[in-house]
Amino acid sequence: MALAIEARALRRTYRTRTGWLNPRRVEIDAVRGVDLDVRRGELFGLLGPNGAGKTTTIKLLNTLLIPTAGSARVCGFDVVTQTREVRRRIGYVFGGDRGLYDRLSALDNLRYFAELYGVPAAAQKRRIGELLELVGLTGRERDRVEGYSRGMRQRLHIARGLLHEPEVLFLDEPSIGVDPVAARELRSTVAGLAATGTTVLLTTHYMAEAEELCDRIAVIAGGEIQALGTADELKHYAQGRRVLEVEAFGVTDAQVQGIAALPGVRAAGVEVIGAGQVLTVASEAAVDVQSDVLRALDGVRLGRVTARQPTLEDAYVAIVNGVDRPSVAVAA
Amino acid sequence: MRLLVVGGVIAYRALFNWARPSMFVGTLLIGPLFQLLFFAYLGRQLGVADDTFYIVGNAVLSATLACVFGGTIAVSNERRWGTLGHVLLSPRPRTLIFLGRAIPYAGNGLLIAVFTLTAGSLLLGLRIPASALPGLVLTLAVGSLSCACFGLTLGALGLRFRDVWLISNVSLALMMLLTGVNVPAAHLPEWMRVVGGGLPITHAAEAARRLVAGDSLAAAGPALVREVTVGVAYAVVAAVLLKIFEAESRRRASLDTL
Repeated sequence: MALAIEARALRRTYRTRTGWLNPRRVEIDAVRGVDLDVRRGELFGLLGPNGAGKTTTIKLLNTLLIPTAGSARVCGFDVVTQTREVRRRIGYVFGGDRGLYDRLSALDNLRYFAELYGVPAAAQKRRIGELLELVGLTGRERDRVEGYSRGMRQRLHIARGLLHEPEVLFLDEPSIGVDPVAARELRSTVAGLAATGTTVLLTTHYMAEAEELCDRIAVIAGGEIQALGTADELKHYAQGRRVLEVEAFGVTDAQVQGIAALPGVRAAGVEVIGAGQVLTVASEAAVDVQSDVLRALDGVRLGRVTARQPTLEDAYVAIVNGVDRPSVAVAA
Repeated sequence: MRLLVVGGVIAYRALFNWARPSMFVGTLLIGPLFQLLFFAYLGRQLGVADDTFYIVGNAVLSATLACVFGGTIAVSNERRWGTLGHVLLSPRPRTLIFLGRAIPYAGNGLLIAVFTLTAGSLLLGLRIPASALPGLVLTLAVGSLSCACFGLTLGALGLRFRDVWLISNVSLALMMLLTGVNVPAAHLPEWMRVVGGGLPITHAAEAARRLVAGDSLAAAGPALVREVTVGVAYAVVAAVLLKIFEAESRRRASLDTL
């Protein structure tokens, strides 16, 4: 089996020091022994909460960081000792507003990075034109990037990442902060890349995005891979549960904690959506907690109450909920 | 070669803060010209040296603002735009990427120095022999390039230390004092002369003064060679620092790569 990415016991510890007279050394294990195999042409998802180690894992794989222990190879090349070979074969895209030269147009941004990434001069014009077309920026390519919306910037990030036709593309939360229409276009672009044989490693917080796009998904938390499989396989982690969703207005933290402590309840959380809230309660399948939950919400204005089958998001919550945070060691 | 030239020019447009015409003219052309006039009139008042000394010295000095700050900006502004990680992911040689960035700033410096010398000469009535002009342009170009390499060294430090602008500001003040452009080197204490000898433009100013005085390029040659040596030394230091900081960044996550 041809592997695009192989990681073995990959580990990264950050060491920081604060203070001069009485220095404190802090060690944070951001990645704690990650094993990963991504096949060529696969669209692989890496899900995890903030601080789980997703971006650090990507930086270890794309040569920006050296592992504290373990090893990794991309397209067969070692990420520590064969950096130039790895860099020729990878593209890196991350979400957010930064990472582009705002004073330049999209065209000049791409021209510059085409030089940096070694795209032959004769091929640059054609390649840039193709990519602008691919990401839908044709017609706006001569505008300064400072006037671009976040969605346009994201698409330009993707075009930049693809300039040298990488075999492996790392997409680090590419749809963060992007509106739903732009996010849909991004997903379509990413799916198209995978269809052309590019290996994609995608990190995201959006379960629907991961479920729609990824062949396989790894859930990382506490710096370790907690679960790995297809979206359907991961949903087994939420098996034996039922999920109750309650639209509400004014649920307090104390009430959520009270609900989480009810018999049969495995997890409870509240999400603010617009002016209201959605309380999600995961319970054991054999226990009907609806009446207890509604009793605990006495006095709160309620909307629709629905019971449903667990989704990938429920499975994800089940996986990450029992995980310790990355260990932090402090030494004087 | 394309990376050096085309890459350098695009990076200049991307990173240089004063690329807008109003900023360029106000900060980089008008400001140094008034500085020249200030020192020339002060020199007349104090009787330390004649107008030629100040016109030539300040013309050479005028390139420093664009070149030292430009060189610093050329590297450390990657931090501002969050683009450093993408630059470091390039498989191409760092020396070419970053040294290529010094060239447009050196060109800027040359343009500014020529403008300041011309305007200062016209305003204060200095006549420069026509035969000295090619040598003078070469000298100003070498001084500007040397300055830009010095700026790159500071820019490399700026990748690691956030407050590098403090060093750039102090450097400019030191160059005004120690390079002999406004205070004759003979009037400086020995240690200041030694430090000045290691700064850019010191030897370019000496070469320029010789040329304006009617000496041949061969006579100004040794000073010009010393200036080239200083510039090359700073280019090497910048390249080494960039290599060290990049390696350290991979080990210790010490750079804001993204």
